[in-house]
Amino acid sequence: MVWPMTAVIQIEGLRKTFRTFRGGARVALNGFDMTVEAGQVHGFLGPNGSGKTTTLRTLLGLVRADDGHMSILGQRAPEALPAVAPRVGAIVESPQFFGNFTGRRTLQLLARAGGVPAERVDAVLAQVGLRDRAGERVKAYSLGMKQRLAVASALLKQPELLILDEPANGLDPAGIREMRDLMRELSAAGITVLVSSHILAEIQLICDHVTIISRGQRVATGPVAAVLSGFDKGEYRVRVGDLDRAAGVLTTAGLPVTRNDDHLVVADVADSAWISEQLGQRGMWVTELTPITPDLESVFLQLTAAAPGPSVPRQVDDVVQPGPIDLGVQP
Amino acid sequence: MNLALAEFSRLAARRFVLLMTMLLVAAFGVTAATTVAGSHEPTTAEWERAEQEVRFAEARIEQLRQDCERRQVSPTFCDAYVEREPRIEDYLFGVFVFSQEITDLVYFMIAFLALFAFLVAASFVGAELTSGGMTNLLLWRPQRVTVLGTKLGTVLAAVLALSAVASVLYIGAFYAIAEVTGVPGDLDGEFWRDLVLSVTRGLGLVLFAAAIGFGAATLGRHTAAALGLIATYAIVWEVGARIVFEVVELGRPDQYMLTSYIGAWMAGEVSFYDRFACTDSFGSLCQSQYEVTWVHAGAVFAILLAAIVGGAFATFRHRDLA
Repeated sequence: MVWPMTAVIQIEGLRKTFRTFRGGARVALNGFDMTVEAGQVHGFLGPNGSGKTTTLRTLLGLVRADDGHMSILGQRAPEALPAVAPRVGAIVESPQFFGNFTGRRTLQLLARAGGVPAERVDAVLAQVGLRDRAGERVKAYSLGMKQRLAVASALLKQPELLILDEPANGLDPAGIREMRDLMRELSAAGITVLVSSHILAEIQLICDHVTIISRGQRVATGPVAAVLSGFDKGEYRVRVGDLDRAAGVLTTAGLPVTRNDDHLVVADVADSAWISEQLGQRGMWVTELTPITPDLESVFLQLTAAAPGPSVPRQVDDVVQPGPIDLGVQP
Repeated sequence: MNLALAEFSRLAARRFVLLMTMLLVAAFGVTAATTVAGSHEPTTAEWERAEQEVRFAEARIEQLRQDCERRQVSPTFCDAYVEREPRIEDYLFGVFVFSQEITDLVYFMIAFLALFAFLVAASFVGAELTSGGMTNLLLWRPQRVTVLGTKLGTVLAAVLALSAVASVLYIGAFYAIAEVTGVPGDLDGEFWRDLVLSVTRGLGLVLFAAAIGFGAATLGRHTAAALGLIATYAIVWEVGARIVFEVVELGRPDQYMLTSYIGAWMAGEVSFYDRFACTDSFGSLCQSQYEVTWVHAGAVFAILLAAIVGGAFATFRHRDLA
């Protein structure tokens, strides 16, 4: 198999079924595909239990795949992991550190185990904002500080590829912003970042590309803008004095209109000026005409059908079974 | 080497290891204190009385031998009387005699060290597997056999070093107690050779316990798996199976028990009585006694190590890690 030259991560047809001693089986990955190109900040999204962490664990050699092909930095995984590990920094879920060690000692031991120069320890501690707390024991750290330490451990190797599973877990708003800035800095420095997160707004701000997984299969992938544009229905929010009359005019003109309490939502609008013109000609003056652009959250919920219902609590497996969705943004 | 040093740092910093070390020191301290409390330096009167008792015993033995030689044609039979000369420490009561008691004390020490090694080795890998520490390490060194092997090697080396130091201090402490408030006894070359052999075998047993604890915790992914294995074995096999063997009148049940081999390993050889061996024959011609030697014990230990430690490495190579 020949991988694209710029693919830092290439996954094709990845399958994994977890089996229990009692004969039970749960399909975690069902032919999952993903490509991360060099220099990307690539978001990896999916509902709980959709296979994100299993994918990352399989890629990093912690879980054995039943089938499929993977490569990291152009080398086959997991066979070549020992060779590429020095170039890959990773945190998977919330890594546990030894509570009795200080933050600095924790990183020193990892640096020693990985053959990394000891000078890197203080550099990465400063980079993640732990320089002044590096002498404290890890058990005294907050969840957010432990998360920063985890990111520091991943940065220790000066990686070409950084794989971060929920890096904003436990961080306060300031910490989330710092993490965002850090990822931008890393990306600007040429490091490829694959980040999984549930904070979709963050992903939208940080990432230039995204892959969405549901029930172990890819449901969308591509540049964030392209994924979002695939769900742009040309909708506009229209505020006008007489909503019922305006709705009648627009409906008669063949546009799908949804009436809300204080505004209309009009879909399939090719030219917003046409709405102003039509309503103005009938003496209705538009006070608001705003395009409704989809955000990543709405696209994600639509793709995975993970939006909660009005009264019935959604179960973790109540997500969409991927079908042949063509967003026109598949690689 | 870097990985081994890092692992050693992690081992040394574990609170459980510190706690177990303190308990070990406390156990040895209590033993030494009890010995000191139960011993006293023999007074001149006690010493003279013991010397008198020795002279009486020697005279009695000599009389018995002469009587024996008058009746027996075989001089070797009568030599049995003089195989062990009466010693002065045999007649000193309430006095710690190093040469007589140190072997049992060493067995006690080895039992504690083996328990320490088992628990420390099991928790060293069990806690890492449970907490995700192993996962974190494998992200840095994605070489499972190397990582697990380094962990095992580190804990074995640490346990051996601590046990060797503890043995020297322990024996030295009791020798000092004997010098100060007891009697060293007859410490000839043979005594020291036997003592060194006992300690060496004991250290082997300690390493065996550590490896089994490590392997069982790895197989079960948890420290508790190793404890469960030991508890289950002790209750189901050493107690339960022994009762069943008794009921079905199975011959030589002791040869199926690990404790028999542990005893044989430490003593060099142990004899067991097979009560069903001579039921159909004339007693004097039938050998109802059988021996288990340290060689048998070594073979049993090797098989157990291959099954549990080998199995742990084999499964860890392919296991999905949480």
